Amino acid sequence: MPSTKPLTGNPRRLSPTMLWLVAAVFVLQLLSSAAAIFFLRGQMLEVVRADRMRQVLDVRDDLLATYLQGGRPSLAQMIVRQQGSAADPTVFIALTGGQIPLLSNLAKAPALDIAPRPRPVMVHLGSDIPDIEGMAIAGQLSDGERLIVGVMGATESRFNLAFATAAGLTILVAVALATASALLLGFEISRRTHAIAETAAQFALGNFGARLTDTRSGDGFDHLRLQMNRMAERIDRLVSELSSVSASLAHDLRSPVARLSAAIDTALDKVEEPAALEALQAARENADGLRQMLDTALEITRLEGGAVTDRRLPIDLARVAEDMAELYEPLAEQSGVLLVTRLDPVVVVADRELVSRAIANLIDNALKYGARRVELSTSAGIVTSPAITPGLAPAAMAEIAVLDDGPGIAAEDRDRAIERFVRLDNARTLPGGGLGLAMVQAVARLHGGELVLSDGPGRGNRGLLATLRLPR
Amino acid sequence: MSARILLVEDDTQIGDYIARGLDEEGFVVDRADNGRDGLFMATDSQFDVVVLDRMLPAMDGLSLLKAMRAAQVDTPVLMLSALGSTDDRVSGLTAGADDYLGKPFSFAELLARVQALVRRRTGPSKVQDTTIRCGELELDRLTRVVRRAARKIALQPREFRLLEYLMLHQGEVVTRTMLLEAVWDYHFDPGTNVIDVHISRLRRKIDDGEQTVLFHTVRGAGYRLAAD
Repeated sequence: MPSTKPLTGNPRRLSPTMLWLVAAVFVLQLLSSAAAIFFLRGQMLEVVRADRMRQVLDVRDDLLATYLQGGRPSLAQMIVRQQGSAADPTVFIALTGGQIPLLSNLAKAPALDIAPRPRPVMVHLGSDIPDIEGMAIAGQLSDGERLIVGVMGATESRFNLAFATAAGLTILVAVALATASALLLGFEISRRTHAIAETAAQFALGNFGARLTDTRSGDGFDHLRLQMNRMAERIDRLVSELSSVSASLAHDLRSPVARLSAAIDTALDKVEEPAALEALQAARENADGLRQMLDTALEITRLEGGAVTDRRLPIDLARVAEDMAELYEPLAEQSGVLLVTRLDPVVVVADRELVSRAIANLIDNALKYGARRVELSTSAGIVTSPAITPGLAPAAMAEIAVLDDGPGIAAEDRDRAIERFVRLDNARTLPGGGLGLAMVQAVARLHGGELVLSDGPGRGNRGLLATLRLPR
Repeated sequence: MSARILLVEDDTQIGDYIARGLDEEGFVVDRADNGRDGLFMATDSQFDVVVLDRMLPAMDGLSLLKAMRAAQVDTPVLMLSALGSTDDRVSGLTAGADDYLGKPFSFAELLARVQALVRRRTGPSKVQDTTIRCGELELDRLTRVVRRAARKIALQPREFRLLEYLMLHQGEVVTRTMLLEAVWDYHFDPGTNVIDVHISRLRRKIDDGEQTVLFHTVRGAGYRLAAD
C-alpha cells in the first residue's frame, strides 16, 4: 500500500545531510591545503639550507685563498677588519688555536668539530643577546689553528614562523572559499533534487503524465532523471492498462445486468406468491445496485480520463448545496439524522451536474456511516495545497464541506477510503459499492480541485470532515 | 390506444426485448436496424414516438435525429445510449431528442417514458388549466392551494412541484429519475431511496385517513397518481 503523503510546508533547503556534506568538503579542502603548505615548507627549507651551505663554503674558500696568498697576517687582518666576504654582517668567523682567538661577529667561538660539510650551530653574540642559530664549518689550517666560518640565520624556526603565518592565511582563505563552494554545491544539488522530488510528488498525487525534463548533460542527475522517467512511463502504462481493463469489464457487464433485470421484471409480472415476489423484489434491487455501481465505475473512468465535454458554467455552490440538502433532508429525517446547512454564496466555474452528484455522494456517505448530525457548508477560502498549487502558492478556492459526527475514518485509512471499490472493514456490512468518494475525487480532479478527508473538529476528533475544494 | 412506435436499434437482443415488451403493452412496433433505414421510415410515415439508439451502423442516432428535425419531422424521440452519462444526455437533448435514457435501463423506465411521450402527443392538453384535478384532489397552479375535497393541504414548495408533476402526468407511470429531472432539474440516479422518502411524505399528506388512495407504487418502475 503506497502512501501518498502530501508534502507539508516548504521543503527544507538545508538538511543535516546537506550540512554534513558541506562540512566534509570543507575539511577535505583544508587538509589538502595543509599538505601543500607542509610540502612547500620542506622544499623551501631544503633550498634555503643548500643556499646557506654554499654561502658558508664560499666565505671559507675566500678566507683560505687570503691565507694562502698573504699567510696568517692577511687572514687575521681580514677577520679583524671585517674586509671582503667577512664584511657581511651575517657572517661570523673564529680563528682559534693561537694565543688569542680572533673573532668576527662572535662573543665566543662555537664548539664545532672539524667536518667536510657545514653544520647547524648556536651562535653566541654576547651575554645580553640570546644565542641564535647558524650554520658553520670548521677546518684545520696548515699552522694548526682552527678556522670556523659560519652564517647566522634562524633557518628552521623563522621558516616555521613564516609558514605558520602563510598557513593561517591559507586556512582563512580556504575556509572562505570552501564554505562558498560547498554551499554553492549544496544548493545546486539541493535544487536539482528538489526539482526531481517535485515531479515525483506530482506523480504521487495522480498526475501520471508528470515527467522530468532531460538536460542531456550525461551526469548522475541525468541518469536519475532518465531512470525516473522510465519508471514513470511503466507505472503510467500499467495504471492505464488496469483502468482500461476495469472499464471494459464494467462496460461488458452492463448488458448481462440489463438482461438480468429484464428477466426479473418478467418473473415479477408472472409470479403471484408473496414469498417469491419478495425474493424477486430483492433480486431486482440488487441488480439495480449492481447496475449503478457499473455506471458509476464507468463514469469515474471517464472523468479520470478527462473524456468529458466541458460544460462548466459559473454556478453558485450554495444553491446547488441547498438543492442537495433539500433533496436529502427527508431521507436524513427518516434515518434520524439532523441535516443542517451553513451556506455562504460562492460562485465557481464548474459542471453543475457533476458537482451536484459529488455533493449528493458526500451527504449520502455521511448518512450511511453512522452520523446523528450532518453539517453541509459552503465557503470561499484561500488554500495552500500541493495538489492544487505545485508551487505552493496560495490559491483562491471554494469549499464544500460535509461534517458528520459518525465514527470517522482513521487517518491511515483515508487514502484508501477514496479508492475505487474499497470499503473499510467497519463499513463492509452497509450497502453501497464503495465508489462514492472515488467519484467525488474524480470530480474534484477534473475541476483542478481536491477532496480532503480530515478529523471532525473538537470532541476528541470524532466524526469525519470531507472537504471538496474547487478553484474559484 | 394503439400508438405506433418506431424502434431504431441495431442490437437484435435489446431490440427484441424492447419490441416484445412494447407489443405486450399494446403498442404497434416497427423496427429498423440501421440509421439510414431509420431515417427513411421516420420521415416517410407517421409514428407517435421514435425510440432511437445513439450508436447505429450507416448513420448514427444523433445525425439521424438532426436530419429528421431538419426535415420538419417533429415526432417525439426517446434516445437510448450505451454511453449512459449526463454528457450524452445533454448532446442528445440539444440535438432535438425529447427524452433520453441511458443503457442499461429497466423496461419499466423505458415504458414510462414512451407512454409519457405518447400522451404528450395524443392526449388532451392539460397545461392550459390553472386548476388540475385528480378525483377529489385539486391543485391550483396560480394560488398554489391544494385541497382534497374540503381539506386544505399545506405543502412545501418542493412538495407542491412534485404533486403538480404527478398530477400533470396522472394515470402515467413516472419513475424516480423522471421526478428528479422534472422537479429538481438534476440528472443523476440518486441510488438510495431519496425520492421514495419525498413521495412517502407527500403521500402521507394526501392519502392519510382517506377512503381511496391516489398514490400507487408501480413495482420496479416508480409511481402513478390516479383516482381510479
